[in-house]
Amino acid sequence: MFNRRSFLGRSALISLTPLAPGFLSRSLASEPVRSDERVLVVLQLDGGNDGLNTVIPFADENYARVRRRLHIPTANVLKLDGNVGLHPAMKSAAEMVHEGRLTIVQGVGYPNPDRSHFRSMAIWHQGRPDAEENSGYGWLGRALDSTRNTPRAAADAVSVGGQTVPRALWGRRSQVVSFNREAELMLPPEWTPTSSGAAAPPENDELMSYAERVVDRSYQTARQLGEQTKGAARLSARSYPSTELARQLALISLMIKTEIGARVYYLSQPGYDTHAAQQGDHERLLRTLSEALKAFLDDLAAAKLHDRVVLLAFSEFGRRVEENESVGTDHGTAGPVLLAGPAAIGGLVGGHPSLTDLDHGDLKMSVDFRAIYASLLQDWLQIPSDAVGLGRFRCPPLFQRT
Amino acid sequence: MSRWSVYVPTEKVPWNLARVVHLHRRAGFAATWLELQRDLADGPERAVSRLLNGTSRSEGVPEDFEALSATISCAALCAGDPGRLKAWWIYRCLFTPDPLGERLTLMWHNHFATSLVKVTNRSAMHQQNQRLRQYARGEFGTLLAAMLEDPALLVWLDATENRPGHPNENLAREVLELFSLGIGHYSEDDIREAARALTGLEIQDGIARLDLPRHDGGLKTIFGKSGAFRPRDLLDLLISHPATSERLAWRLCREFCGENAVDPRAIKELADGLRANRLRIDWAVETILRSELFYDASNLHCRVADPASFLLSLLRALECCDPPPSTLALADALRSAGLDLFVPPNVGGWPGGRAWLSTRTVLARGKAIVDLAYGRLHSSTVPIDPQPLLERHRGGESLPDQVRFLGTLFWGDIDHRLVDELSHAARDEADRPSQLRRVLILMLTRSQAHLH
Repeated sequence: MFNRRSFLGRSALISLTPLAPGFLSRSLASEPVRSDERVLVVLQLDGGNDGLNTVIPFADENYARVRRRLHIPTANVLKLDGNVGLHPAMKSAAEMVHEGRLTIVQGVGYPNPDRSHFRSMAIWHQGRPDAEENSGYGWLGRALDSTRNTPRAAADAVSVGGQTVPRALWGRRSQVVSFNREAELMLPPEWTPTSSGAAAPPENDELMSYAERVVDRSYQTARQLGEQTKGAARLSARSYPSTELARQLALISLMIKTEIGARVYYLSQPGYDTHAAQQGDHERLLRTLSEALKAFLDDLAAAKLHDRVVLLAFSEFGRRVEENESVGTDHGTAGPVLLAGPAAIGGLVGGHPSLTDLDHGDLKMSVDFRAIYASLLQDWLQIPSDAVGLGRFRCPPLFQRT
Repeated sequence: MSRWSVYVPTEKVPWNLARVVHLHRRAGFAATWLELQRDLADGPERAVSRLLNGTSRSEGVPEDFEALSATISCAALCAGDPGRLKAWWIYRCLFTPDPLGERLTLMWHNHFATSLVKVTNRSAMHQQNQRLRQYARGEFGTLLAAMLEDPALLVWLDATENRPGHPNENLAREVLELFSLGIGHYSEDDIREAARALTGLEIQDGIARLDLPRHDGGLKTIFGKSGAFRPRDLLDLLISHPATSERLAWRLCREFCGENAVDPRAIKELADGLRANRLRIDWAVETILRSELFYDASNLHCRVADPASFLLSLLRALECCDPPPSTLALADALRSAGLDLFVPPNVGGWPGGRAWLSTRTVLARGKAIVDLAYGRLHSSTVPIDPQPLLERHRGGESLPDQVRFLGTLFWGDIDHRLVDELSHAARDEADRPSQLRRVLILMLTRSQAHLH
């Protein structure tokens, strides 16, 4: 049954243009790309993924009791160790765990959990439990702001899909390019938008400055596209599943290959708010996720780029331990977080939350999500996390080497 | 000292064309040159009254507007393409005598954000839209009650899945968090109990009713009060809760005022006033539109225009609605710019404000302007020629004079350096219509064009 949070786009056949998106090439003024420049891709699972049926504690006798109709039979669980395993739809993901290409951090959340989609997502986006819903900069925006002492790249971060730039990327000065299809950046022939011509607009927070910056950057990006596609290179497109998520990851892979210099990419997979008739929807979502991740990592591996990319998949909260009357689940608290990519440590991190020692019927967290953010910034992107105001939280090591 | 004292023109805050344009852009979808001049001459009190009464449009309104609208919506519902329903609404925005009514309807659509993608029944979405329009200005309690009985909303929030025993909290949560109180004014227990109060709603033959056998008739405790609450009782609790008036005040200020124009004290005062006026939306709208605060310099040019305001205002001001533009093409343009009517991104609606401006949407707006200029938004596909408009309103003979007229028409005022810059940029075009087209494109793709 469809739910309100999702609106799956058309799942079109992948029709990547063979053109390189040259518009995103660095301008002459900026520094050359370092070959070991690392990339973080953030995938937001929208709606509150049911962690309990994703990373399943099959060995816990309570599991079948709390999920009378929704429980996955032990025989079908893709076992990762003696205690937990993955939902049967996640065959590719299970393989990747065994290969060391997928890491699962269990029991991730934050204190005083909020079960409002908007509030909880705001907390994850800003990396602060006191996040204001409609204001405030994002954790990635702040992190990218703190590195802003080099000449401008074409973009610091790229947001793919969606209607608005996610707040996680909002920063005072960091530049975000957002789009969903290359066609959106192509202009009609009668229009060659020019920059304002004046000096770069002041970097303050005034609405007018903001508008000028966004407008200027948009026209600059479009102009570069116009120039670059004249000498376009042909790139072969690897085969990806024909889902919207896979298409967007393929686009991101293409951009990473053409070395545009953006360090962060952001995308979402909607549909996880499974209040009713969860079984079929959740299975589809997890299968899509699992296969898209595999296609993405395999693609990067073939291009010898897989060591440079880590993908974080998170959701704004998990769901209630007990299922509801509609064979679905309502908003909960802690849940698993995935890190895809061989650079992460691989395998299971932390233990599954107890199904009996609960917080008002919800799982208790054991890892604060800010520890994961801090590790991604400090250990992976090598951006000091202190400057970002995430507080000091610890978690087990997430990376092979720093 | 009231934050909402009535605006009286003074030397420092004169009633000038900039403020007339400001009023029409915020409360409607801009105005034609003659309408602007009329309101400039008549003063703010009469100008605002016209908007409140649905008499602000002196031209471009068909005599049998409602009949035409009904015909178009009927055809839209029979057609296979959901785009036609969006096109119908755009038709209303362009040709209604009451643009403030359509603005408020759009605001409520955002507030009670329901998506066609899940609801699928277009007739139900159309009826919801009509209900929003019907109750847009009255007591908020009446509107909220209508929404709690609206089939589209109930389907959207799984209301019929909500059963005694293990309630589905979707409807209850969104009613408390988004539609009435707002975050921070209820506990999770309140939500659970509110969900119980909302059990038993079902839809039969397109009408919602409470099916008592499937309603949890037990005692509930919500906000510290106990009773065998049913949906109507929950509604009373919500309406009488002060947080609802505050959220309502916030929503209305967000709709009509710009970034940082209204401080928390003013919102609180508006909320107090709403409570003293049975949460009447028209009372609050009038208070805002007549206030000093609304016309203060800090409230001018500081609201990012949503795509509908941006594009439809230009069509009205340029008087290019006869022959009418293609409302289907307009619906598409709005969608590219981030406003897909009847398809909000989620139940929280469109975030609005600065979120309207991103690479994609800025380019989409620019493309819409180019399409407008080259006639691609009209079925005639004839590129636009502003000269007849200029002649009608004596907009000047020289290019700079004409540029100044257009700037004044759109923005109420234009800096002379910008006039020079634009005239200079267009000088190489072959003829005057081409020059004016270039000027329009340059003008309307500037960042200031996006700030109403």
